[in-house]
Amino acid sequence: MMTPLYKYGFFGDEMSLLVAFALGIGFGFFLERAGFGSARKLAAQFYLYDMSVFKVMFTAIVTAMLGVTYLGWIGWLDLGQVYLVPTFLRPQILGGLVLGVGFVIGGYCPGTSVASLATGRIDGLVYALGIFAGTFVYAEVYPAIKDFVNSDSMGQVTLPEVLEIPWGLVVFAVVIIAVAGFWGATAVERWIGGKS
Amino acid sequence: MMQPRRPYMNPYLAGMGLGLVLLAAFVIMGRGLGASGAFSSTMSWLVNAVAPEHAQANEYFQGYLGDGSTHPLKAWLVFEVIGVATGALLSGLLAGRVHITVEKGPRASTAARLLCAFAGGMLMAFGAHLARGCTSGQALTGGALLNVGSWAFMIMVFVGGYAAAWFMRWQWR
Amino acid sequence: MRRPALTLNQKLAAVALVLGVGALFSQPHRGPVVKLDTRELAMIVEKEVDHVTPAELAAWIVEGRTDYRLLDLRSESEFAAYHVPTAENVPVSALPDFPLLPNEKVVLYSEGGIHAAQAWFLLRAQGHTAVYTVLGGLDGWKDEVLFPVVPAGAGPQELARFERTAAVARFFGGTPRTASDAAAAPDGGPQIPALATPAAPELPRLVPPAPGRASPVSAPKKKKKEGC
Repeated sequence: MMTPLYKYGFFGDEMSLLVAFALGIGFGFFLERAGFGSARKLAAQFYLYDMSVFKVMFTAIVTAMLGVTYLGWIGWLDLGQVYLVPTFLRPQILGGLVLGVGFVIGGYCPGTSVASLATGRIDGLVYALGIFAGTFVYAEVYPAIKDFVNSDSMGQVTLPEVLEIPWGLVVFAVVIIAVAGFWGATAVERWIGGKS
Repeated sequence: MMQPRRPYMNPYLAGMGLGLVLLAAFVIMGRGLGASGAFSSTMSWLVNAVAPEHAQANEYFQGYLGDGSTHPLKAWLVFEVIGVATGALLSGLLAGRVHITVEKGPRASTAARLLCAFAGGMLMAFGAHLARGCTSGQALTGGALLNVGSWAFMIMVFVGGYAAAWFMRWQWR
Repeated sequence: MRRPALTLNQKLAAVALVLGVGALFSQPHRGPVVKLDTRELAMIVEKEVDHVTPAELAAWIVEGRTDYRLLDLRSESEFAAYHVPTAENVPVSALPDFPLLPNEKVVLYSEGGIHAAQAWFLLRAQGHTAVYTVLGGLDGWKDEVLFPVVPAGAGPQELARFERTAAVARFFGGTPRTASDAAAAPDGGPQIPALATPAAPELPRLVPPAPGRASPVSAPKKKKKEGC
């Protein structure tokens, strides 16, 4: 068990910031490659004529998921050392809902807004400013909503643990659902595209 | 609404690229990617620079300021997000897709679009902070790790998006 | 008729499906993650059935009992300086990987008892049921066993009873103290005998187990939030 490299002491905090930058480059590169610097392309997902958001997101998830599964299986990755964001069920459900609405109104999510403003989109820049403003407001009201924000704490839990299904089975199911989803998404695109 | 087809990468290939970057993050750092946290760090630093007593009295900002021994901008996500901008610019330049413009549908005015962008960003901030992440940190990272909260979050993002789409169609179509 | 070639997307989908099926048999290593029944453990802690006093431990050693393993949780250098005879050195960080049978009786001690108590939770969480801690740790061992204090103003009967305690102390290379000695040097007391070997009958030799696997370097401390 020698990876994650950082957790096993292969390099320190200073170096990790450089790693962050490098990973960010890869992240931003592929976001723009996919066209996610454009709010129109992103919003199109919710009008069903361009399902790229779904395709890119789930392909990325499946790729990384299969990656950690196989690397963990052959013992090259200590999955237990990979940070899992703790689950706070209801706040995260509400957060997702709000984020989805914000996505369609604003046309971006935080990551894509950065990609967008980097390629010259003014609306991306304004969106990012909106995120700053929203963060400030959130911080101000935080004391009042603190109890809700920290409710439903389930700790760091995975679907296999909670559903009591083996990890490999959940991975298999996700792959099947994703591939079926991609096929369905393409069909929807053709149907909607054919109509207009 | 037909648009000249721009040569974006095959979404599955782009997705694989993203997935491999994410996997690299897992293997090298033992953590995933993210974005909203960088905004929180930056905001905390900004407020602390302008009104330190207020920032330090605020529980949310204080979390990102820490005990003062590390500069809030010296955060992993801040450097990552700078990388995102760099990588996106690089890809855009290579594809000739960098130009100052406002992305919007044919029926919307620029002013309305920018107003909505700002409002959307504010809403997004709320959603992301409630959920402890955004689409990169929660949906992508947590999704790949089969995190319960992340999957719940991800499903709700699509629910919220489709629900709001009807009301926003004037902006995009 | 030639079959039309698969498109790139179809090939990708096929690869994904194959890998997905393969994943069915996977067991990604997550390290020794355990589930705890916290209520059960809390009740056991309250009942205090998992303590062993230094005097009891001393008696077991003198009797030559071999039905338990005594683990010293301190560092190698501390262990080399002095340890309770028959103890095996297992620094706390090596404990999760240390080979122990689930039903083996294990007695833990550390300097004061805090690490022993924490290690107690660790082993119980891993499923060991017969885990005990030495009350007071090595400090208690020194005070009660090695350098027991003669009760002040003791009558002849008490002194006679104390003789056994004093004999045990000498067995382990220690010396009894009078009350005035203890008052004069309450902390630290007399020198610990270097690797006390008993003058009396041979202690049973325990075969040290094979060294455990190397454990990972601990993660550096984070001061700020680790978020997304």
